[in-house]
Amino acid sequence: MSGNKVEDNVDHASNSKGISLPMTRVKLIMKSSPEVSSINQEALLLTTKATELFVQYLALSSFLNGSGKDKNTLSYSDLANTAEETETFQFLTDILPRKILVRDYLKSLEENPVEEADN
Amino acid sequence: MSIVLYQLNVSLIADAVFQSISIEGMFFSLTDDGDESLHDHEEGNGSKENFREQDIYLPIANVARIMKNAVPQTGKIAKDAKECVQECVSEFISFITSEASERCHQEKRKTINGEDILFAMSTLGFDMYVEPLKLYLQKFREAMKGEKGIGGVSVTEGLGEELTDESFANQLPAGIITADGQQQNVMVYTTSYQQIPGVQQIQFS
Repeated sequence: MSGNKVEDNVDHASNSKGISLPMTRVKLIMKSSPEVSSINQEALLLTTKATELFVQYLALSSFLNGSGKDKNTLSYSDLANTAEETETFQFLTDILPRKILVRDYLKSLEENPVEEADN
Repeated sequence: MSIVLYQLNVSLIADAVFQSISIEGMFFSLTDDGDESLHDHEEGNGSKENFREQDIYLPIANVARIMKNAVPQTGKIAKDAKECVQECVSEFISFITSEASERCHQEKRKTINGEDILFAMSTLGFDMYVEPLKLYLQKFREAMKGEKGIGGVSVTEGLGEELTDESFANQLPAGIITADGQQQNVMVYTTSYQQIPGVQQIQFS
C-alpha cells in the first residue's frame, strides 16, 4: 500500500499511469530553479507528462525536418535546425548551437573579415 | 580528420576527437575571452551556483525510449542527438517552471499548482498541450479514486499530425485498486483509449 508521502503517490503514478519518466528527478530539476519553494502533486504530474510530449514533439519534428545526408537518422543538426526555425523551440537555441567545420568558418572569415586593430 | 566547432557568437571550441571534459580546456586556450562555457547561458559570469538546473538531467535511457517511439519505426537516432535532447528536456522543465513560479509569486502563493503549469505552457507557446493535459489530469484523478479500473489515455487528439499515437496507444499500464484495498498492476493492450467492458483483470505471469 502506498504511504502518505507525495513522492510515494507520484511514483506509483509514474508506474501505472502511462508515464515513462521518473517524477522524482523531474521534481529535482524543477526545484533547482531559483525562488521555487514548493510544487504540488498535480503540477509535478502535469510537468512530467508535458515533458514526455515535448520529447516526442521535438524528436518527430526534427526527424521530419531532416535535411542531412541520412534522412532516416535523427542527428544533432536536425535538432539545431529545428530549434532555429521553429518559434516554439527558440528557447533552445542557446544550448543547441549549430556546428560548423573549422575550414568553413575560416573561409567565411576571409570573405567577411573581422576588423583588426592594425588595419 | 576534420575538426567540428561549436559556434557561439564569435567564440570557438574545438571538438571532434576531444571529448567532454577536455572540450572546455581546449576552449579556454583557443579564445581570448574565455568566460563563456558550453553550458553558460546566464548573465552572471562570476556567480557560481552549486546546482545549476542544466546539470541535472533525466536518465538518457528514458529519453531515448520516448524519442524512439516518436519517430517512425525504421528511423534511427544519433547518439549525440539523444544527449542533446536530454539537455533540452532539462531546459524545457526549467523554462516552464520559472514561468509558473513567477505567476505563483504574483498571486502571492507559495506552492506551484497545476493551473500555474498549464498557464505557463499556454504562455510559452505550448498551448497545444493544454487540452490533452487537462484530459490526462482528469482521467488520472478518476483513476486514483479507484472507481475506474483502466488508466492511461490517448492524448493525441489535440496535437495534430506532429505526434504519432503509437507511444500512447500500444500499452496502457493500469493500476487496479480492488475493493479490499489491494493493488494489482496489469498491462492492458489496446489501440485506443476506451473502456473495455468485461475486462477487469488480465494477469501476465
